[in-house]
Amino acid sequence: MTRRKHWAWFLLFTGPLLIIFLTVVIVPFIVGSFYSFFQWDGISANPKVFTGFENYIKLLDDPRFMESAWATVKFTIFSVISVNVVGLTFALFVTSKLKISNTARTMFFMPYLIGGLILGYIWQFVFSDVFKLIGEMTGLDSIFFNWLLDQDFALYALVFVFTWQMAGYVMIIYITGLQGIPNDIIEASRIDGASTWQQLRKITFPLLMPAFTISLFLTLSQAFKIYDVNLSLTNGGPANATELFAMNIFNEIFGYGNYGYGQAKAIVFFIIVAVLALTQVYITKKREVEM
Amino acid sequence: MKFGKKAFGGLVFICLLLALAACSSGDKSSGGSSDEASGDGKSITIFQSKVEISDQLEELAKKYTDETGVKVEIWGTTGDDYFSQLQIKLNSEQGPSIFTLGNEREAEKLKSYLYDMSDRDYVKNIAPNMALKQGDKLVGIPYGVEGFGLVYNKDLVSPEDVKDYDSFVSTMKKLKGEDVNPISLSQEAFFLIGHMSNYPFALQDDYKSYIDKLSAGDVSMADTEEFQEFGKFMEAIKTYAPNPMDVTYDEEMGDFATGKTAMVHQGNWSYGMLSDYDVDFDIGMMPFPLMGNDKLAVGVGGNWAVNGNKSEEEIKAANDFLEWLHTSETGKKYIVEKFGFIPAMTNIEANDLDPLSQAVLDASNSGETIPWAINYYPAGVIQNDLTPAAQQFFLDEKMKGNDFIKDMDKAWDNATK
Repeated sequence: MTRRKHWAWFLLFTGPLLIIFLTVVIVPFIVGSFYSFFQWDGISANPKVFTGFENYIKLLDDPRFMESAWATVKFTIFSVISVNVVGLTFALFVTSKLKISNTARTMFFMPYLIGGLILGYIWQFVFSDVFKLIGEMTGLDSIFFNWLLDQDFALYALVFVFTWQMAGYVMIIYITGLQGIPNDIIEASRIDGASTWQQLRKITFPLLMPAFTISLFLTLSQAFKIYDVNLSLTNGGPANATELFAMNIFNEIFGYGNYGYGQAKAIVFFIIVAVLALTQVYITKKREVEM
Repeated sequence: MKFGKKAFGGLVFICLLLALAACSSGDKSSGGSSDEASGDGKSITIFQSKVEISDQLEELAKKYTDETGVKVEIWGTTGDDYFSQLQIKLNSEQGPSIFTLGNEREAEKLKSYLYDMSDRDYVKNIAPNMALKQGDKLVGIPYGVEGFGLVYNKDLVSPEDVKDYDSFVSTMKKLKGEDVNPISLSQEAFFLIGHMSNYPFALQDDYKSYIDKLSAGDVSMADTEEFQEFGKFMEAIKTYAPNPMDVTYDEEMGDFATGKTAMVHQGNWSYGMLSDYDVDFDIGMMPFPLMGNDKLAVGVGGNWAVNGNKSEEEIKAANDFLEWLHTSETGKKYIVEKFGFIPAMTNIEANDLDPLSQAVLDASNSGETIPWAINYYPAGVIQNDLTPAAQQFFLDEKMKGNDFIKDMDKAWDNATK
């Protein structure tokens, strides 16, 4: 009787979620992998031609895809570092005993509540108008110019906006981690004469490892999959310099109408993200310490 | 037994969800013959590509509803990526009943969705050679005739000064000396390169066969005289004009309307924007002088098409709407006065046109026009390939016009491989 009871409860809570997950993730994934072996333009009435692994072989010889991959890797490395550094700094700042820390916490978290699309349009205005104005007024036009018109700086602009959006979110995770560190250890270290830096390095960071694991995982996968900010801030431009993975796939499918080929890209994309994220979790998990 | 009731409720909920999921997948398998509850001919949906007529069309839709009781829903328009959006909507079996078809290439791609209107009455009024055909099927009714060229401020330039490459450059130099922007393009795909790139194609003896040869790799733009000169023109524009990548359509027209810019490369559609300003000078449209060209580019900008995959009632309702739009007094009035179209229908008269549309109509009537070769480009080539090439050209200060033409060759190859 109890066994069956548990089973019913289990179904009640996981059932709805399972159905949603199944219909919006698993099923499209399987159907998508199936289409990746076809040459097809995505219009239901037009013929699908089975081509085997041709789509995947073509991928290796696609300069635009390779450039997009490289841009995505660069973007991910920069943003994972900057989001976590900024997020951790924020967290350390707001858990210190400053008066404004509560207000600061709210302010830092605010950008995360704005949708990526809107955020992108706001910053597009900042970069193209405000930056130019500041540059003209202060004469510092080597820093303050329209970043979105420079092929390298457009990517930094993306990193900047993504950091602005995500830092507040990982800050919350770090705050939780920081508050979980028992005060007595810190006090003990202080009595032993540890400096602030030693305290951070030898006690806070090792005990914060679980928070690192989750924050790194979140930023890594989010940065890899980014689409909304990419679309609204640069739309892949200038001259495709900031066309990241997700956008490249979208353009392949809906711009060029190569549905099968785009699906093949998406599958490769999935494998890369999965491998990277799992490796990262494995490595950081190993470094977590038990108290 | 308290638990039992709750669990039972939960199970019912799950069953409901399952039932919902089953419903939606059932719809898909039926081929979208009636994918919306409203497929009974009492309501239709329109998804069209022209941003500038959205509000007016909404107004018209209300009038139609008042008159006939049929609900007309207008979906927001997205501009440059309209065709991608349309494909997404059609693909997910949620396509509109009436949509815009740009040209025969797009028609070819969407042929399984097109409805043959040949035997409807109102299509008999379409001006000769203006209907969009696919084989012997008539699949699109033209919005109207449109034209583009250099829209200019009559106080600052006169057409006599812009006759060929040399006079074009010297005029730009002179204007620059007077602290006026000589010319302006803007960052949107069609305004940056789409319409500009039409000239070297349209000036070929037979642009269709030229495009076919180009796609087959038999000729290259870099070896064609018109394109070589086009490269020189683009280089001159880069030298004297503000960087188009930094200019939006709004800013382009705003600067023109306030007299800061002497010429913009635009079409008659841009008048809608100018009428929002109190423009205190006379406006004209003149040909872009590539190879001494003295004709405006005139063509059909878009066509109304009916989604043939809908239920019979909905198709009929869609046709009724188009018929009303092209034959009733209200519909005709809206086409000319509110949409600002130059009608391509013999039963609609154009009176009191704005100066830009008048220029296009005059050119069209006298036959002094060059065609819109862009309508024969491979689908999507402007947004996908030519625009990145043009962005590269305008961002790299050292890049020469002939390098740009080589990049355009590469972009074209990429689109047609």
